[in-house]
Amino acid sequence: MSSTKNSRIGEEIWKTRVDKVNAELVTLTYGTIVAQLCQDYDSNYHDVNKQLDKMGYNIGMRLIEDFLAKSGVGRCVNFRETADMIAKVGFKIFLNVTPTVTNWTSDNTQFSLIFEDNPLADFVELPDDGRAQDELWFSNILCGVLRGSLEMVQMQIEAHFVSDVLRGDDTTEMRVSLVRYIEDEMPPEEE
Amino acid sequence: MPSNPRGVFSLIIINKAGGLIYQREFQSGLRNLSTNDYLVLAGTFHGVHAITRSITPKIPIAQPAPSTTSTGTAAPAASGYSYPNPGVPVSGLDYLETDKFRLTCFQTLTGTKFLLFTDPLTGGVDAIIQRIYELYADYVMKNPFYQIEMPVRCEAFDRHLGAWLRGRT
Amino acid sequence: MAAPHRHATMQSMSNGGISSGSDRPQQHSQLSQQSPGLRVPSNRKTIYDRHLNRTRTAELSRASFAFLFGEMVTYAQRRVTGIQDLEKRLNEQGYPLGLRLLDLLFYRSTSTSSSALSSSSTSSSPPNRPLRIITLLHLIHGPLWRLLFGRAADALEHSVSPDTPNEYMITDNDPMVNTYVSAPRDMSMLNCAAYVAGIIEGVCDGCGFETKVSAHNQPTELWPSRTVFLVRFGDPVMEREKVLERAGVK
Repeated sequence: MSSTKNSRIGEEIWKTRVDKVNAELVTLTYGTIVAQLCQDYDSNYHDVNKQLDKMGYNIGMRLIEDFLAKSGVGRCVNFRETADMIAKVGFKIFLNVTPTVTNWTSDNTQFSLIFEDNPLADFVELPDDGRAQDELWFSNILCGVLRGSLEMVQMQIEAHFVSDVLRGDDTTEMRVSLVRYIEDEMPPEEE
Repeated sequence: MPSNPRGVFSLIIINKAGGLIYQREFQSGLRNLSTNDYLVLAGTFHGVHAITRSITPKIPIAQPAPSTTSTGTAAPAASGYSYPNPGVPVSGLDYLETDKFRLTCFQTLTGTKFLLFTDPLTGGVDAIIQRIYELYADYVMKNPFYQIEMPVRCEAFDRHLGAWLRGRT
Repeated sequence: MAAPHRHATMQSMSNGGISSGSDRPQQHSQLSQQSPGLRVPSNRKTIYDRHLNRTRTAELSRASFAFLFGEMVTYAQRRVTGIQDLEKRLNEQGYPLGLRLLDLLFYRSTSTSSSALSSSSTSSSPPNRPLRIITLLHLIHGPLWRLLFGRAADALEHSVSPDTPNEYMITDNDPMVNTYVSAPRDMSMLNCAAYVAGIIEGVCDGCGFETKVSAHNQPTELWPSRTVFLVRFGDPVMEREKVLERAGVK
């Protein structure tokens, strides 16, 4: 498949076409956003998760144009290719990581992204208040980013974290489900 | 025409719904259109573009003919219709050309359209549009004060677009 | 040193082994000790098991920063009444970064080799904290700017007015945070680099210099987003400065 091709595309764009900044500035900026939300929402982590997702959605709707402009890639022929593109090109050029795509359902509409590294959570420890580790999804903004950007290319999806090393889990895993293709922008049928 | 080395006359950006969100001329002395004319142009082009997409002809899908060539039976049975070259998505109108100018349309996968008016002899139009798309992704999409789908009023976009088209950077 | 009261705002989230003051010695002496209440992965992948210099030269995309920063601005805008209020809010978001970056700068300026953490210099002398205003401002103009933006700031000046000896100006001709930002016409006074002003304020406060820092548009034809950070030290700082001056402390 085009899988190794996407890896090459991602690497190439990251190396030659992406303006860089100090990673710590990005990490700390995200940290101060989350901390501010925790303060504004009085440590109601469910609301914080929701707000992070919403912010990510806003970002995704904009970020997709940057992704398309930088990558020049065309429409994916199916959801499996979309997943591969997200992991190897999308995450690569915006966060310099390549999560693993795995745990597909048999109908090819749901998969997991497993994050070996997550720059947003570098040097983060959740508040030791007996609740944050059970309720807060620190990197929840990423779910919104996927939702927003895919919606702009006519895919309605649902995304949520199922585990996070910050919570003491052994992996950081996001589950992504295709809800439907929007309107007549259906990609050509498979096969 | 030293002020316009890339041969670009003007640029229009149309949002997903067919609304005009940006219009700018890069050469003085162009015939002036009123704002209303531009709005009509944007809406009309958007409509025509959609129609050209929808009238894209489909051709019958040929069944892999069971080797009955010698018996000379009927033509392969069609099981349905498909676009020619199904791997390539259907586009709409890509360009219009007159003796005096060429209008090139680039539609992003998100449905935004960039319409570039150039001299018919201007080469490398695709690369120019690609660069404009990148500037749009930078100075429009990353501007927190820009609201999606709304008219583009971003000073940094104007500045960088102008500078680039004038060939300075 | 009494912690400035604004420290409190950040204690809810420690985005940093970079975290501020008091708990640092423990971190050095009892590596890999978590707070008792927190669960950790079985592979022990926690912040205490990672080297603080791991991300020293790491890079991320400027676009990612721009999108996060933009969303911070958008979110802040929904909750404020005017430009001043918005800048205050951005300042407050930058402030905790200043506190953390200060520790990081000290840590890195004293750690001469990559073995800095393992040699765990809890006993060695503390890093040279700036005592005088000029030393502090040079730290900001040089090392802090280089850490954040990969280059020094463009100018550092002292107010020439005899009425405001406590005012200093740090100039950035093209602040990275404003690269993609175009404020609408009716908000032309706004400068989103108020976020950076907050970072500077955090650094100063963390060093024990009570300060107010604000960001101002000073465009030139060549540098349309040129920004001047006005640093105003509080009276106690100025008085101490006089004492230190007389005592010959540098």
